[in-house]
Amino acid sequence: MSEPVLRLVGVARDFSDGRVVRRVLRETTLDIVPGEMTVLAGPSGSGKTTLLTIMGLVLKPSTGRILVGGEDVTGLSEDRLASIRQQRYGFVFQQAALVPALDILDNVLVGTAIQGGRVSARTREKAIALLSELGMKDYLSSRPQQLSTGQQQRAGIARALVSDPILLLCDEPTSALDVESSHIVLDTLKKLSRDPRRGVVLVSHDPRVFPYADRLLKMEDGAIVYDTKSVSTGGN
Amino acid sequence: MRRHAAVRMLLHDRSTTAGAVLGVVAIVFLVGQQLAVMFGLLTLMSALVDNSGADIWILSQNSSSTSTAGDLPTRYVDRLAGLEGIEWAQPVIYSGAQFKLPNGTSQSVGIVGVTRPGLAGGPWRMAEGGSEVLLEYDGVTVDKLDLADLGNPKVGQVVEVNGRRIRIAGYTEGSRAFGPSVMFVNSTKAREITGVPADRCTNILVKLKPGVDIRRAQAEIRELLPKTSVLTVAELATSIRVYNLTNTGIGSSFGFSTLIGIIVGVVIITLTMYTNVLNRQRDFAVLRALGARQRDVFAIILFQALTIGCIGLLIGFFLLAGFLFGVKGSRLPANLPLWLPPAHALFTFLLCFLGSALALNRALKIEPASAFR
Repeated sequence: MSEPVLRLVGVARDFSDGRVVRRVLRETTLDIVPGEMTVLAGPSGSGKTTLLTIMGLVLKPSTGRILVGGEDVTGLSEDRLASIRQQRYGFVFQQAALVPALDILDNVLVGTAIQGGRVSARTREKAIALLSELGMKDYLSSRPQQLSTGQQQRAGIARALVSDPILLLCDEPTSALDVESSHIVLDTLKKLSRDPRRGVVLVSHDPRVFPYADRLLKMEDGAIVYDTKSVSTGGN
Repeated sequence: MRRHAAVRMLLHDRSTTAGAVLGVVAIVFLVGQQLAVMFGLLTLMSALVDNSGADIWILSQNSSSTSTAGDLPTRYVDRLAGLEGIEWAQPVIYSGAQFKLPNGTSQSVGIVGVTRPGLAGGPWRMAEGGSEVLLEYDGVTVDKLDLADLGNPKVGQVVEVNGRRIRIAGYTEGSRAFGPSVMFVNSTKAREITGVPADRCTNILVKLKPGVDIRRAQAEIRELLPKTSVLTVAELATSIRVYNLTNTGIGSSFGFSTLIGIIVGVVIITLTMYTNVLNRQRDFAVLRALGARQRDVFAIILFQALTIGCIGLLIGFFLLAGFLFGVKGSRLPANLPLWLPPAHALFTFLLCFLGSALALNRALKIEPASAFR
């Protein structure tokens, strides 16, 4: 079995409104392995996004450890976590979340040099190749608002892939798409998950997504209650 | 890429960028023109002293301004002649008088009586004729900018000042002072007009020989004439400016106007940049999620503030130059010392960053996790 690209060990998250502390994610232990598409499903408020943001290193867990590519990143600084996200993660957001001020090519490239410096010619070529592969070659200098939501989401996928990440995290990528665009996006993500160096995690409550899953995790009330593979889930 | 993204965001949000630029322009222009007029007035306040050609002024005891000067014995000039290092010493008469207008009413004027043939303390720029016109017995000069106030007297025209007939012998150009119109005349005629006796004067101007130490000469004169105030030109000019700033309300008036300009500019910059960040919260959250550190967001906002500052400065200084060009040669004095534009630019940048502080604070608080909500 492949080494996991991401390992969560006893990860939990509490939120406080100042008076009451509420556990929104119960202790969870989970491995994400490469070459596999993991779909995280569940109703609203079940803790899917909390788990995804912890996986994405944008939200710190209240307890537990996170290992990325075997490296324990739990106690790392915000800056170091940002660098790990930049170099090893790819994010596909709900409704693409492209920056309207930038054209499509710049949107794809913006993450690669956001910590300063110039975009290398090689990265630029790679971005163009990715966009071409996703049928977006004619829209390099278009603004996001000039594109359909499906096209925007494909640009979002190109942005997630340009740094050649080991982990691709997708947050409801089909929620704003029509059936045809959803299938294009899901086919693309499925193809990407076949890369033996990369793990893909997709959060969705869209049933159209489930057939694409190599592994389906179902969340309820802050805990994983169903897993097509054997996982260890703690909590009450 | 950070700078590229920063500029693209500015270009994308044109209306908010234009608003922020307007704030900078308001600071540069409003504050700049207030300061230019204030420095113009300051220059005007001490113009008679600065352009007198003398190194040292002697005033009656405890006087610190030409306008509060009392009177001095003219014989002091002879005593000064005994000191080594003095090239010349000349008495001058300053006094107020009433100029009779063609319609029969009167206009207050300042009479400056200078001693022939040296004419020290006389007009420093003539528009028509040379200052030698003051060698004539009844010749008087008026400034071109004051002509309208004095009923547009022509050269050669005989006019009446304090009931005495004098002849307009020439026009000066910018040889003016703070307060009423200044008329230069020789001291003989000045005494006739003002009633200052022949053995008295209001000030004595002293020119030192080249290479003479001014402090040493000042001390020697103080020792020689203990019942007088002996001031260098710089000291007297400063004293006059301070006196006028603190006793006329000019200082507080300009200070208030300048403060208003600053407040208006900072408020505009703050509101527009803050609004800009509020509108771009999702973008910043996405950038944070993609790997931007807080310092990268800081760099983007700072670069935007810098860009807005540069554009605003360029437009503001262009308008300011237009203002200075427009008032050149007019009655409104305006003067920007060479050190002021760079200092003003630096100050404007500081205000620009201050105006961005709130936006920066908001932007730095944006959590990358909010990109997922």
